[in-house]
Order: sequence, then C-alpha cells, then structure tokens
Amino acid sequence: MTDTTRDMARHRDEVFADATQVCGTGDVIIDIEGIDKFFGDFQALKGVEMKVGRQEVVVVCGPSGAGKSTLIRCINRLEKHDRGRIVVDGIELSDDIRNIQEVRLETGMVFQQFNLFPHLTVLDNITLGPRQARHMPRREAEDLAMSLLTRVKIPEQARKFPGQLSGGQQQRVAIARSLAMSPKVMLFDEPTSALDPEMIKEVLDVIQDLARSGMTMIIVSHEMGFAREVSDRVVFMADGEIVEVGTPEHFFENPREERTKLFISQIL
Amino acid sequence: MADERSFFETGLDEPLIVANEPRPPREKLNPPQWLRKRLFNSWYNSAVTLVLIPVIAYLGWRFFSFLVFNARWDPVRNNLTLFMVGRFPRAELWRVVAQVVIWSSAIGLAWGAAVAGAKARALRAGLPYREDPLLAKVRRYGALLVIVGLFLAMTQTWGPLIIFAGSVASAAVLQFLGSRTAAEHVAFLWAGVAVLGVAGFQVVSGFYGNGWLWMGVPIAVAASKLVGRIEWSSPLAARLARLGGVAVVLVVAYVAYMVIDHRGVGWEQWEGLRLNLLAAPIAIVLAFPLGVALAIARRSSFPALRIISTGYIELIRGVPLISLLLMGQFFIGFFLNTTTPLSSITRAITALTMFTSAYIAEIVRGGLQSIPRVQVEAGQSVGLRPFTIIRLIVLPQALRNVIPAMVGQFIALTKDTTLLSIIAVADLLYVRGIVHAQAEYRAFGIAETLVFVALIFWAITFSMSRESQRLERKLGVGER
Repeated sequence: MTDTTRDMARHRDEVFADATQVCGTGDVIIDIEGIDKFFGDFQALKGVEMKVGRQEVVVVCGPSGAGKSTLIRCINRLEKHDRGRIVVDGIELSDDIRNIQEVRLETGMVFQQFNLFPHLTVLDNITLGPRQARHMPRREAEDLAMSLLTRVKIPEQARKFPGQLSGGQQQRVAIARSLAMSPKVMLFDEPTSALDPEMIKEVLDVIQDLARSGMTMIIVSHEMGFAREVSDRVVFMADGEIVEVGTPEHFFENPREERTKLFISQIL
Repeated sequence: MADERSFFETGLDEPLIVANEPRPPREKLNPPQWLRKRLFNSWYNSAVTLVLIPVIAYLGWRFFSFLVFNARWDPVRNNLTLFMVGRFPRAELWRVVAQVVIWSSAIGLAWGAAVAGAKARALRAGLPYREDPLLAKVRRYGALLVIVGLFLAMTQTWGPLIIFAGSVASAAVLQFLGSRTAAEHVAFLWAGVAVLGVAGFQVVSGFYGNGWLWMGVPIAVAASKLVGRIEWSSPLAARLARLGGVAVVLVVAYVAYMVIDHRGVGWEQWEGLRLNLLAAPIAIVLAFPLGVALAIARRSSFPALRIISTGYIELIRGVPLISLLLMGQFFIGFFLNTTTPLSSITRAITALTMFTSAYIAEIVRGGLQSIPRVQVEAGQSVGLRPFTIIRLIVLPQALRNVIPAMVGQFIALTKDTTLLSIIAVADLLYVRGIVHAQAEYRAFGIAETLVFVALIFWAITFSMSRESQRLERKLGVGER
C-alpha cells in the first residue's frame, strides 16, 4: 500500500461500527442479515450481520471453530443457513434450486484441500465448468483455460493430472478453475493452510494479483502479513459471532476488544 | 515389468514418467543354487519338499495319463457342433458362421477404434504412445487361444479352420485399418461397430418385428454426426440437415427391410456354448446401467426412490438365483400378460439381469461411498447441476474403484449361465446331457465331456480376470 492510500485510510473512520459498512466502490454485492446456523445442537453462527462491497477484499480470521468457514460456505449454499437472509448480487438465497444455481455461477470457491477432480487433466478440470454449466464450445473453453493457467503461471502443466502437481500448483489450478466461470465474487476457505511453507507465497501472489485486478473477495486466512497487505477490511470472528471489524492498520495496531488482542498476540 | 509399462498402464494419480524408475536388483540363481535356496534351505523345508514332490508328481502323472492315454474324446470329438450350437437347425448353420465372421470383424474394428482413440489421447497429452507388445497380448489371452487350438485339433473337416482363419483375418485387417484412423473420424468407427454388432445379431435372428429399426438407429446416428460435420449457414439449417439425414437412413432401412428376405432363427433356438456366450454379455449389458441407476437411487434424497431401490436390492439379493430362474419361467408371463408367450430364454435373461443388477447396485454403492463429499462440493461450486456432478465427477471415480469387484460379478454371472440347464434351456451343460442321451455315448466319456465343459469356462473366465487386471493397472486402481 502506498503512502497516499495509507493517508486516505487514516482519514476514514479507522474502526467500523459493525461489519455492514463497506469499502470498495460502495455498492453492496453480498448482504448477510442476521444468519443463524446450527449443526445439531451446536450453533455455528449466531446472528451474523455483514455486507461486502463491490471490488472489496475482506479477510476473515479468528480461532478455529469460530464459524469462518461455515460463514463463507453459506454464501454459496454449500451449507444451508437456518435463519436470516443472504443476498448475493441481488439474488436472495432460497430453497429454489434455480436461485442456488445462479448464486453458484456468480461465486467462485477455493478450498483448503484444493478438491481438484483427480480423474481429469488440469485442462479438463478447468473447462468442465464452462462447458457444462455455461455450454461453452470446447475450443473456446480450452483457450480460456490456457489464458487462466498463464495468469496463475503454470501453462506448462495443462495436460497433467492433479496428482502429478505440487500442492501450490494444485491450489493455483483450483483458483484458475473458479476463475473460468468468471465469477463476480471469489471465496477462499483457508487457501494456504494445507500447503508447505515454501509454496504459500506462490499462491498468495496469485491471490494478491486478483485483488489488484478488482475482484471482490472474501478470504478466510491466518496469513496476517498477507491480510495486512491485500485487505480493505479485516473481520475477526469468535464463537460464531463477529467480534470486531476494522481496517488492517487499526486491527493489528490498535484492537479494541480483549478477544481480538488475545488472538493477535497468539498469532503474531 | 517397469520397462513394459505404456502410457495406459500408468495410474492417473501417478507420475506418467515411470519407464526409467530404478528397480530393486533381482538376484540370479543357477538351478542348483535355486534348489538349495528355495526348496532345501532348512531341515523342515527339505522334509516338506521330499513329501510333496512325489505326491504332486503322482497326481500330475495320473491326470496327464488320463488326458492323453485313457481319456476317450470321441463323445466330444463327434459332437463338436452339438456342443457349440445345440440343436440349431442344421440347414441354417450358415447364419451362425456369418454371425461369427461379422462379430469378429466388429471386435477387430472396436479394438482398432480403441487404439486410435488412445493414440489421439496420448497425442493430446503430449505423451508417447506405445502399444502392448504381442507377447503380452498372447499371454493375456493364452488360455482362450489354447482352447481354440484344442478345438480346431479335434475337428474332422476343414470348415471350422477356414471359419476361424477368416474371422481372425477380417478382424486383423479391420483392427489395422481402424487403428490408423484419424482422431476426428473415430466416432464413425464406433458407429461401424454398432452396425456390425446389430447386423451380426440379425443375420441369425432375422429382421422380424422392428428389426429394421435396430439396424437403422446406429446408421442414423452416424449419418447425423456426418451431416453435422458439414458447416451450415445457420444452426437451424444444420439441425434440419441432421434430421433429414436421420430420416433418409430410416426410410432406406425400412424399404430394405420390406424388400429383402428377412426370415431367421429366433433366439428361442439358441443353444449350446453359443447360448452361454450370448446370454452372459446380454445380461451384463442390461444389468450394468440398471445396477448403476439402482445404486444412485438408493443414495437419493427422494424417499420414494430410496425405498423402492433398497427394497428391490434387498429382495433380489435374498433370493437364490435358481429360484429366481424358476420363478421367471412361471411368474413373468403372469405379470406381463403378453399376447405371444415369452420364450424361455427371454425369461431366463430377464431373471439373470434382475439378479445381477442387484449385486452391481451394491458394488457401485460401495464405489460411490468411497468418493469424498468434497468432490461433490467442488462440482457444486463451479455451478454444475446434480446430475452432471454424478455423471462426470462421482461415477467415473467410483466405477474405477470397483473394477475388481465388478469383474468378479461378471465372472460369476458367466458361470451362472450354466444354471439355465435347470430350467431346460439347452446351454452347454445341458447339451452335454443331450450328447450322453445318444445310444452310442450313454455312460461313456462322462468325465471327458465334463472336463471339456469345465475347461471352456475356465478359459473364458481366466481371460476375463486377466483383462480386469490389465484394466486395473491401466487405470491405477489401488495405487493411490
């Protein structure tokens, strides 16, 4: 971040009152209103309120079991929320399968364990979505896949199978696979937690690149240095609730809540 | 065998470059060393060796002398045609010959198409394509070759040899031509295989009923694809042209059907080895999709589908095959009140299909359960529909994992076709009874004919098992 933007950040309110004030271009693309989520008797999300602005990068952090993954899995309906409203780019998630399908076409998801399709080549992993869900002709889909692979810097791996790639390469393929659907929002569920240390950087570089290109992103991550660099806002969650929200500067240098201070002291 | 591993033998999850992988050194022993090291390396191993060698030698000698000196192969040798086709009308035998030649050609063409497709895939993946060496193929199908050789050695005329040579030659030629076809034309080879397959079937059974339709459909599909290759000015024109192509083919097929002589021999007259060889694949082809559908239905979120499928599977698996076959004879006609009674063979194949599909459903269900839920989530997150996820992501991985169990089931089914003899359908085992019902072979050569029947089944199922092992290696099952 350059000095001028840092100055601008200082001029803004350093602490957001809650997670419903957005950065980015100002208009809201994801609107989460008071959602609850239960796994049996266990309440994973307790009335979470959050808005994400177009082109905004939000990093969600917090101790394990805080409900971070559950929150972003609710956004593309891999989990069904039990109460409240989720609106993604004007589409409210309901039980209607067509609605869910539309939201999934607008959101890309990158998993902790990559979850590539092991029986398909890298190229087929990427073209499967466009060809099946968007009815793109094979030739066109492959051109798109190759350009995305170039963007994540592994075009030479196109004909290999996922099992032949390193973790970092697999995660970059997974990012390319999501981008192939030209989503409006990207969700990252701990994208570097399953990687060896020397591969973390190559994946973070790709994500940072995406952030610069103006992609709206929600990233669940424990990479605090990375969070500081790319994010517009950091959201801290614990026990299924949003505890504190702030600019990265505020969040790391001057946290307000006791739980946040404890978490930051443990992780830094 | 590392040096023999071709592209297709490498596992999907394994690095494709394995040819130069170092292998543990193999010790070379000369015969005396081998004896000492393997058979006499301690006092108790020496004792076991000393006891077992005479026993094995004695049993081996008895068996060998039975086969070569004592056995009287006349009942087999003089009834070869009966064993092969049963009481099929002798005046119509040319139809069977034509069928053998046509189906051999179909197998050759399918093989060639498979090789051409494999070459294209290897090219696409930028990898070298190497065919299995001839020796490996011979080893894989050696058992079948030995049986065919024995059979030809026992024939008394040149006919079978000529038919065999003709079939092999036409298969080889088509395999050669097929394997050199360009990738974009491989689809037509498969259409050709379908046409030959149907033609081979109908040359025997005639074109009765809707025969022209069966013949027309694969050709029509091919015609539609061919017309689709041409560039049309608009999508509508292309669609109309394809429909036109299909219509022309179907009309020509219908006219041809009206003009030519289309009498034949119905499948109620299929007998002998021919029946076993046809009933097993037909039941497999019918039971496989049914079993997969049942497995998916059993895991469905719709209670009705789940209950029906679970009920069917548990009911069928709890009933012995023999009772199913017997019930088929008496019950199917009761439920399906058709005007013409169904033939015994139709009922028997229905029963075999019902039985096998329940087992396949359970095998496939195991495979489906082995695929982690996150694979489905990954599919959902790129916007695939539930059916697409099952078809393109879950099923391919699940089926790959259950190849060994699946082939085991197919082998069991192949052997179970001999149970048809119980409901007086004249399969190979039943024909053996007919042979011994003749005055000159009564109570004579009984062991020999049994050995003959057993050997045929062994050769078929052993080849299936070898083929399954090759498939496992090729798809990398168990290498994860």
